[in-house]
Amino acid sequence: MMMASNIRPEPPAKTGERLLDVKGLTIEIETRTGPATIVDGIDLHVDKGETLGIVGESGCGKSLTMLSMMRLLPNKIKVTKGEANFAGRDLQKMSNSDLRKVRGGDVGFIFQDPMTSLNPVMRIGQQLAEPLIYHRGMSKAEARKRAGELLKLVGIPGAEDRLDAYPHELSGGMRQRVMIAIGLACNPQLLIADEPTTALDVTIQAQIVDLVKDLRDKLGMSVVWITHDLALIAGLVDRINVLYAGTVVEDAPVDALFANPSHPYTQGLLASIPKLSDERSTRLSSIGGTPPEPGRRPKGCPFAPRCPLAEAICHERVPSLEGLGQDGAHRVACFVAQRKLEAA
Amino acid sequence: MSVVPMPGTAAEIEPPVSLWRDAWHRLRRNKLAVFGLVVVVILAFTALFGPYLTPYDFLSQDLNSRNLAPSLSHLFGTDDLGRDVFSRVVYGTRTAFLVAIVVTFIAVVIGVTLGALAGFFGGWLDRIVMWLTDMTMSIPNLLLVVVINASLKSPITSWMESRYLATLNPVYRETIWVDFLLVFGSMALISWPPYARLVRAQVLSIRSRPYITAAQALGLTNRIILMRYVVPNALGPLIVAVSAGLGTAMVLESAFSFLGVGVNPPTPSWGNMISDGLRVWQHYPHLLAAPAAVLGLASVAFSFLGDGLNDALNPRGAK
Ligand SMILES: Nc1ncnc2c1ncn2[C@@H]1O[C@H](COP(=O)(O)OP(=O)(O)OP(=O)(O)O)[C@@H](O)[C@H]1O
Ligand code: SF4
Ligand SMILES: [Mg+2]
Repeated sequence: MMMASNIRPEPPAKTGERLLDVKGLTIEIETRTGPATIVDGIDLHVDKGETLGIVGESGCGKSLTMLSMMRLLPNKIKVTKGEANFAGRDLQKMSNSDLRKVRGGDVGFIFQDPMTSLNPVMRIGQQLAEPLIYHRGMSKAEARKRAGELLKLVGIPGAEDRLDAYPHELSGGMRQRVMIAIGLACNPQLLIADEPTTALDVTIQAQIVDLVKDLRDKLGMSVVWITHDLALIAGLVDRINVLYAGTVVEDAPVDALFANPSHPYTQGLLASIPKLSDERSTRLSSIGGTPPEPGRRPKGCPFAPRCPLAEAICHERVPSLEGLGQDGAHRVACFVAQRKLEAA
Repeated sequence: MSVVPMPGTAAEIEPPVSLWRDAWHRLRRNKLAVFGLVVVVILAFTALFGPYLTPYDFLSQDLNSRNLAPSLSHLFGTDDLGRDVFSRVVYGTRTAFLVAIVVTFIAVVIGVTLGALAGFFGGWLDRIVMWLTDMTMSIPNLLLVVVINASLKSPITSWMESRYLATLNPVYRETIWVDFLLVFGSMALISWPPYARLVRAQVLSIRSRPYITAAQALGLTNRIILMRYVVPNALGPLIVAVSAGLGTAMVLESAFSFLGVGVNPPTPSWGNMISDGLRVWQHYPHLLAAPAAVLGLASVAFSFLGDGLNDALNPRGAK
C-alpha cells in the first residue's frame, strides 16, 4: 500500500517521451439531420513533464476533445475515428475497468465550473477521500489525513477544519482550489485543466495559475491547460496549440508563438489581447464573423470564410499541419504561412 | 507544506453548517409547516401509544349508553353499539398510520429502485419501466382496488375458513390480516408510479450535472456514483413527495374503507367510521364529525409539512 503522502521527490526532466498522443480523433454529434462533425481528426500530444496550452474560441471543441479521450462524452456525442494513447495504451480501446484506473488515478481533471463540479451534498473531505480510497486503497482515516494535506497543499486556510464543509460554504476561488486538490489527489501523471479560471475574478485567476505552476514543478506532472485567454497562461505553458473548429491550426513553443504567430487566426487572437489587461480580454474582437457550426464546415480551410488572407486554394483544399523552419517545432496549417516561409 | 500564499478573506472563513441543519432552520421559520409537523407528531404519538392510553376498548360495547353526545366521560360520544368514539378514532389513527407507512414504504422502495435504474441506465430498461409506469397509472385506482378485493378477498377468506374448520389450527382463524394484506398490496401497487417518475426525472437531470462527469473522471464506479452522488441529490424532492404521499395514503385508505373495499369493521378506520356516521348524521352528527375532522386535520397537516419541506430543501437546489 502507498504511503499517505507519496509525492514524487523530483520533477522529471522533459524527456521528449510521449505521455499523451492523440491521433486523428474525430467526434460527431447526432443531430436531427444526421451526424455532424464537431472535432475533425485532431492530432495532439503532450510529453512527460510538459505543459501544453490549448487555446481557441468558445465552442471550438476544446472540452469535448479532452472528455472524449477519457470516454466521458454525453449521450449523443461519439468518437467515430482516431486514437488517444496514454503512456502507450489506447484509451479508446481499453476495458472499462482499466479505463477507470486511468481516470483519476493517472489523469486528473479540473473542470470549468467550480460551482457545479462538486457534489453539493457531500463534504469536501469525503469528495477528496473518494479517489484515494478507490485508487490507492487507503483506509478512511488515511484518506482523511491525506485529504487534509491536499487542502493545505492547495492553500486553503484552516485546511483541516474545512474537511467537513459542504461546497456551498466555500467561495468560488476556494472551491476551485478544492477541485484542484481532487484532481491532484492520486498524484496523476497528467493534469487536465479545462478553463479552470473562467468562473473566477482576475486576481484569483492569477493565483490559481501560480498555484498549478507551483504544484506542477513540485509534483513533476504534465499539464494540459485549456483556455480562451492566451495572456493568462503565457508564463505557465511550454507549448501552445491553437484550435479552430475542431482542428489544430498552429502548434508552437510558447515563445515562438508570441514572437512569430503564423496562422492568421492566431494573429487575430494575439491582436485581441488588450495591452494592459486589467479586465477580461475582449474575445477576438479583431476577427469578424463566427466559426462554422458543426455540420456546416466549409470545404477547404475551415478558417477561410473569416480569413483576411484567403486565396482560391483555401476554399478548395484543407491545409495540413506542417513544420516551419529547421527543427519543425513550430507547425502551422495555412497555405499562405507555409509559402511565406518557403520563400524566405 | 503550504507553498502558496493564501488569500483568505474573512468572508471565506465561516463556521460549517450542515445542509440539513440549514433546511431545519428554514422549516422552523415556516408557521404552517411547524403546525403540520406538530400535528403529525401528535398523530404519530397517538398511533403508537394511543390504544394503551384510551379509557375504553375500541370493541367493548355498552348497550346502555348508545349514541351518546360528547361528554367528559366520552370525549367524542358513543356510537350505535355504545362503543367509545374517541377510542375508535384513536385506534383508527393507528390503522391509518400503519397502512400509510407500510404502503408508502413499499411504494417508495419499488418507485425509487425502478426510477433510479431507468434514469441512470436509460435505453431499454428505461422504456420498460416507463411503459410499466404509464400502464399502472392508466388503470383507475378505485377500479383496480375493487377488482383485487373482489377477486381475491372472498376466495382467500373462505379458503381460510374451510382450513380452520378442517384443522382447527388457530393460524386460519383470524382473517383480519387478509384485509390488511390486500389493502397494503393493492394500494402499494397503485402508489409507486409517481415515485418512479419523480426519481427518474431527478436522476435524468442529475445525471447531466457537471459533478457527475467529474465523479466519472475520478474513475469511480457506476454503483458508487449512483449511491453517493445521484441518490443523495435526489433525496430532497423525494422527502417532500414521501411526506405528501403519507397524507395521500391515509386519505386513500379512508376512501377505500369508506367504500367497503379497505379495512373492514370491526377494525376501526376513519373511513369506515365516516361511512357509518354518514347514515345517521342528521341525528348524531358527532359520529360523522369526529372521524371526518381528524382525517381532514391529518391530510392538511401532511400537506403543510410537505410544502414546508419543499421550501426548506429547495433553496440549495435553486442556488
Ligand atoms: N452536450 C452537448 N450537446 C450538444 N452539443 C454540444 C454538447 N456539448 C458540446 N456541444 C457542442 O460541441 C461543440 C464543442 O463544444 P466544447 O464544449 O468542446 O467547446 P469548448 O471549446 O470547450 O467551448 P468553451 O470554451 O465554451 O468551453 C460546440 O459547438 C457545442 O455546441
Ligand atoms: S489556409 Fe488560407 S484561409 Fe486558411 S488560414 Fe491560411 S490563408 Fe487563411
Ligand atoms: Mg469547454
